[in-house]
Amino acid sequence: MFDLKKYRKKSPWILHYNAGSCNGCDIEILAALSPKYDLERFGVINTGNPKQSDIFLVTGPVTYRSRERLVELYTQMPSPKVVVAVGSCTCTGGVFREMYNVEDGIDRYIPVDVYIPGCAVTPELIIDGVVQALDILENKTKELEDAKKLYKKPTEKEGVLNLRDSALKVGEDEED
Amino acid sequence: MSKKTVNIPLGSQHISLLEPIRFKFTCENEKIIGIDSDVGFVHRGVEKACASKFKFDAIGYVVARICGLCAITHSLSYTMAVESMLEGEVSKRAQYLRVLMVELDRLHSHMLCLSHVSENAGFEAMFMRIMGDREPVMDLQEALSGNRVQFDYVSIGGVNRDIESDVAVKVKETLKELRLKVEDYISEFENNWSLSLRYKGIGALSQEDAYRFNTIGPLARATGIKTDVRAESSMLPYGDIGFEMVTKDGGDIYARNMVRLYEMLNSISMCENIIDAMPEGEIFTKLKGKPSGEIVTRLEAPRGELMYYVKGSGKPILDRVRIKTPTFSSIPAFMHIFEGQEYADAPAILASFDPCMSCTAK
Ligand code: SF4
Repeated sequence: MFDLKKYRKKSPWILHYNAGSCNGCDIEILAALSPKYDLERFGVINTGNPKQSDIFLVTGPVTYRSRERLVELYTQMPSPKVVVAVGSCTCTGGVFREMYNVEDGIDRYIPVDVYIPGCAVTPELIIDGVVQALDILENKTKELEDAKKLYKKPTEKEGVLNLRDSALKVGEDEED
Repeated sequence: MSKKTVNIPLGSQHISLLEPIRFKFTCENEKIIGIDSDVGFVHRGVEKACASKFKFDAIGYVVARICGLCAITHSLSYTMAVESMLEGEVSKRAQYLRVLMVELDRLHSHMLCLSHVSENAGFEAMFMRIMGDREPVMDLQEALSGNRVQFDYVSIGGVNRDIESDVAVKVKETLKELRLKVEDYISEFENNWSLSLRYKGIGALSQEDAYRFNTIGPLARATGIKTDVRAESSMLPYGDIGFEMVTKDGGDIYARNMVRLYEMLNSISMCENIIDAMPEGEIFTKLKGKPSGEIVTRLEAPRGELMYYVKGSGKPILDRVRIKTPTFSSIPAFMHIFEGQEYADAPAILASFDPCMSCTAK
């Protein structure tokens, strides 16, 4: 069987969603993919399909109407996934902070791994962010692949085995 | 074949659309017979914030964030409105620098549109080529203003940065190269088989319909209507620097592309003229007072006429800022054009409108 995680590192696919941005950061993402900066040489491809993507690039301060779509797209992406917030308004709300139709920043709705500040961000910064996202992606992959022990040795009390609490909760460690 | 209709949605998240817009097409076989659109996905409430949250001298930078592609036209229209309310004079040099930026902005916006149109015709190589050639224009904007996209170049009373002599030389060199490239595109868009197959006669709008729907910008000029704020208004010195109206006949995607391409040539020569005839003087005059009264300004954005209405009553916070953006005025015409077209052409037609949703929804 081929090794999926190796290819994931080599060619991450990105999904781009505009959650109410001014298009400034969107055209810079486009510029980062185009010949001068050429993010594609890292194997990055912009796909429209959340089910095939690893990196989620979000722009915009999240308007009321885009938040359901944002969460939906996020949940449709298979793990491991990395979220990159592109632009000041995506990180904190930026100029749009506290306007009546926006939520200030996407981290109110989905967990963010990389924040890229700037209004508008430059393509260099976007490339930097995506490269950092790759490392995070690899760590997340490792975490997922670590064997998880969900079973604890039965305790013995007065010669009777207690099998009741033999299941470990996820994340809980076995006490010695 | 039976007459069954199918509803096909397009957007709001779609690979070939940069913009969050949703269409619902009702199709009969391959033909679109009904259409419904929804544009409000990116509404943020900028107008309201302009009249409650920000002081009048900061709004120029806030309204720039309505649209990243035509940021300069937004802040410039607002600034001109406030300047006329304060009855201030802006030096000629500042005016020239402003026009220079507006025209550079138009160049890169038109290039973005053309690259999208070719991508939607399945011509990926052309898309990459135009995007690659667009970068020098972005570099010029960076050299002139300090940022590539949201450059906050205009401020009330003038501009924020002067042009250095080496930058002026760079502008001329880059534009000279760009002119050759644009001429190349023109022959490509005219003669290339796959481009013309996809464009000629597709998505046509007749001249009467263009009048009836009150279309503006390149969409109207592609049907032969002579409408351009640059020719109609005298707030900016377009008359001195060789502005020419570009019109074409036909109203289809091909004509719209041609209008954009020839406009780019005109913009290039205007920029060159500006650099040659740059007047001496200050770039900034401080204006005093608070705006009061009401005023309407118009400016030709890359997509058509942009209109600002500003009302103030001598207080730092304005009473009302109303923005009418070019895409908004063209939506009735968009809907009309889609009717009777093949569904497969829809993305290409949409790209040729060059819609800007973040302008429309604000
Ligand atoms: S960070 Fe600035 S340039 Fe980027 S989308 Fe937000 S407002 Fe636009």
